[in-house]
Amino acid sequence: MKEEIIKIENLTKVYENGEISVRALHNVSLTIKQGEFIAIMGASGSGKSTLMNIIGCLDRPTEGNYYLEGIDINEKTDDELSAVRNKKIGFVFQSFNLIPRTSALHNVELPMIYGKVKAAEREAIAQKLLEQVGLSDRAEHMPNELSGGQKQRVAIARALANRPQIILADEPTGNLDSHSSVEIMDLFSRLNREEGNTVIIVTHEREVAEFTDRIITFKDGCIIKDETTGEVA
Amino acid sequence: MLLLENIKLALTSIKMNKMRSFLTMLGIIIGISSVISITSIGASAEAVVSKEFESYGMNSMYVYINWQMTQDRPIQYSDLILPEDIEALRARFPQDILYAAPYVTGSSETKVGRIQGRLSMYGVAADYNKFFHMDIVHGRMINQSDLDGKRDRIVIDEKASQHFFNKSNSVGETLTVTINEEIRELTIVGIYRKEASLFDQLDTSDSYTTYIPYPLLQSVDDATSYLELYTNGEKDQNRLGGDITTYLSRIKDKDPEFYRFESAELQMGMINTVLGTLSIAIGAIAAISLVVGGIGIMNIMLVSVTERTREIGIRKSLGARTKDIMTQFLIESMILAGIGGILGTALGIGIASIGMSIAGVAVIIDPFMILLAVGFSAVVGMFFGLYPARKAARLDPIEALRYE
Repeated sequence: MKEEIIKIENLTKVYENGEISVRALHNVSLTIKQGEFIAIMGASGSGKSTLMNIIGCLDRPTEGNYYLEGIDINEKTDDELSAVRNKKIGFVFQSFNLIPRTSALHNVELPMIYGKVKAAEREAIAQKLLEQVGLSDRAEHMPNELSGGQKQRVAIARALANRPQIILADEPTGNLDSHSSVEIMDLFSRLNREEGNTVIIVTHEREVAEFTDRIITFKDGCIIKDETTGEVA
Repeated sequence: MLLLENIKLALTSIKMNKMRSFLTMLGIIIGISSVISITSIGASAEAVVSKEFESYGMNSMYVYINWQMTQDRPIQYSDLILPEDIEALRARFPQDILYAAPYVTGSSETKVGRIQGRLSMYGVAADYNKFFHMDIVHGRMINQSDLDGKRDRIVIDEKASQHFFNKSNSVGETLTVTINEEIRELTIVGIYRKEASLFDQLDTSDSYTTYIPYPLLQSVDDATSYLELYTNGEKDQNRLGGDITTYLSRIKDKDPEFYRFESAELQMGMINTVLGTLSIAIGAIAAISLVVGGIGIMNIMLVSVTERTREIGIRKSLGARTKDIMTQFLIESMILAGIGGILGTALGIGIASIGMSIAGVAVIIDPFMILLAVGFSAVVGMFFGLYPARKAARLDPIEALRYE
């Protein structure tokens, strides 16, 4: 039995939008174990992105509890959440979100700058990570000089910078062609299998979700299906 | 470590928007350069004035009749300062009055052969040159026997000698002048040389300054209304002046306010006060442009925060704390203002140097002013960067990431 890395209990998220309050998540409970490869599926507005933001410590629940590695996130200050994001979570976004006019290498170094890693060490790690995603020859390139697939690989290298346990990817293939999509998903599989990272992917595409071992489907802020597809039980 | 990163980041961002950064800095550049140039010009002018006074004699003093006291009555002989009064003053202040003579001047056209010219004549006593820094290059200065015998003697400037006689040494030649409607033939006994001073440059008259025995210029026998003194520099000039006029009023049996004095020190103090006030006033106006420059920085930083909303979101998602974002933007605005300050300082020094070199005066740059100006511009940058930086730091990361 593997360790529970994420534990969500009766989580509800309500957005107050003027006079209308929108319930994005309704009484969701979910447990994710270390080393799992999970897809969260659902149409837009199903609450999957909200869950993603809460898991990523970018947002706080309205009600319910969220424990990350046993830590109660509700009790953390904003600065402590920044540290949690920095050390424990690696983000991959649909639109890559690389810092423009900043080299691939420096983009990868960024989380380590906020993690107070020394400059020389930082550069060595970043170089190694770029090598790992097959971009060692693109280190000094600016984001606008890279293809979509390459950008996403830089983003993945960046997500790995501080050796976080969890990789959170929000529609990582949404802006990529099918060939690049497969490459990126293969990269995630490898990270999961070889490095033991817990990988959580938010997607609305069934083909992307098929790469993972467990598919959780959302509708109207609730989990409607939680299926295990792969050989890992 | 993060500080260095932030400085690099700020420099990159400034470089990326060169034109915009320059225009933003312009307010600070103008402000700082005005402050620096005006204070430098002020300091240089002050130095020139004191040097001028020193070369002329810091301890010269004039004692004269307070004309306000004689407005409603004709002036009497007893009002005037007589030779025995001068003797009495010298006897009363033997240590303090080193030179005393009636201050009388005259001016006359003169002609040597076909060469014409105008002479300004100053009446002096013996030893005048010992106190008022005169460089006698040929012959001698007016002496006691010239005074006693009311001899027709004159000491002229080397330039005048060149002008009238086409030679540096014209001792023994004569100049014909008109003094008190009387034609006199003055024999040149000495030639002096004087560096052109700022005051001489300001003097637009084309007359030559000359020195003759003072009795030659006196119209009312030996009485005078104006006394020139050279005093002991170790004494407080204002107090000494007061003592002298009080004593003079007493021996002349006049109202205590009947005689007044004016010291070089007092005049220099007045000029310096005027210069100082002027510097402060113009400096204050320049400081306003610094505030305007600061507002410019604030404006552009707000634009920058909006433009980089997404970047801020990314940074926050990667673990940047509120204070990290705050520091990033604060450092950027401080560097923007700081560079503006440095450029402004350079420009200001340039303006002051050019201005002073046109005036023919050595420029004085106060290193403290430079430090103050650059420091102050960084403070301006910090103050006006505070609000945009807070705005950036408080952005919600989810909102910021969604920003297009």
